[in-house]
Amino acid sequence: MRRTNRAVNRILLAVLGIALMGSGAALIAAGTLPGAADTWAAVGSAVTDQARNLASSASGPGPLRSWWLAAGIAVLLLGAGLSAAWLASQGGGRTPRLAEQRDGAQGRTVIDVGLISAAVQEALNGNRSVVAASVSAWESRSGTALRLRMEARKGTSPRELADTAEQLIQGIDDWLGHPIPVLVRITSGVRSRTSDSRRAK
Amino acid sequence: MKQDRTIRRMIRRETHSSRSVPSMVAASILLVTFLWLALESVLWLLKDQPLLAGPAQLREWLVGLPANTIPAGMTAAGVGVGTLGLLITGLAVGRGRRPRRALASDRSATVVDDDVIAAAISSQARLAADLAPGQVTTTVGGRSVRVQVRPTSGVPLDLASIKTALDGELAAYALDRPVTSNVRILNEGAVGQ
Repeated sequence: MRRTNRAVNRILLAVLGIALMGSGAALIAAGTLPGAADTWAAVGSAVTDQARNLASSASGPGPLRSWWLAAGIAVLLLGAGLSAAWLASQGGGRTPRLAEQRDGAQGRTVIDVGLISAAVQEALNGNRSVVAASVSAWESRSGTALRLRMEARKGTSPRELADTAEQLIQGIDDWLGHPIPVLVRITSGVRSRTSDSRRAK
Repeated sequence: MKQDRTIRRMIRRETHSSRSVPSMVAASILLVTFLWLALESVLWLLKDQPLLAGPAQLREWLVGLPANTIPAGMTAAGVGVGTLGLLITGLAVGRGRRPRRALASDRSATVVDDDVIAAAISSQARLAADLAPGQVTTTVGGRSVRVQVRPTSGVPLDLASIKTALDGELAAYALDRPVTSNVRILNEGAVGQ
């Protein structure tokens, strides 16, 4: 969920996987094909010569022998920066504010997720089929969305829980005055999740 | 119509993996590698001691790799790296479906874990055939619901009522992906309660 860009994840992982498969193939070729080891060494020394030629041109000041070396380091740092950006793009988007309305000069009204959470807890207090419930909100592409997670007691019909959730959402809609996107998650308990996940007695 | 799209999008995102864990691992490894290489290059330019190996040593090691390693070792390393690459590509290209599915709902996106469905069906079947806990096992797979019943020894089992209960329950869920159901009665019975 959240705001992870999933297409980027898939593309970057695919690129990485293909690069790894390519180097794996090169290693296998160097180990099995008779001429490949020589080709490896020839390519290696050719690349080295190229790099040496570049490094002796465009000389820079002080300890910097060539601007080309500075460019190489810059490329490495750029790679590090892009990796950090990829890492930072995972998840995120959670917000403590569910809705906000500005009333001109009179100020603004903010509804916290905590309010909805307290109301949901109160409403589910006597409900035997819900073991635990939690409410959170996140910024989705179509505005702030609400996520309602309900942990089902073992053997409870999910339809029953979905109907309970529908009633709760009806109440929330009446409160807020305008419908917001809602995701209802009906999950099993932590204990049954650690065992074989899709079998039940 | 817009509401529909939003709901479908939420269901799609909730029932499929975001691949964020492999992405985070890969990004961390890349970040550390790039930073290390940049640091080594700077140390080499300043003619300082390298941390682990300077660029010149790295180059020598890489160029001389086939000459200094036995061919079998190269092949084994290649198979290892290639398999890792294949796994990562599979993660990226595969469907990444999670063991959960959507229930029909007008107002919200409702997504249920497969094991909640399995537990509910088991308890319905048990009620329908009047069996003890543990005599019914349900497995919910990609497109199928398999119910295994161990009858009580000496007591005839009402298969039709189990089937009716199962179909009624599944019809009430109105799952987004159609599932086929089948009930299997085990030959061995459980000793009476």
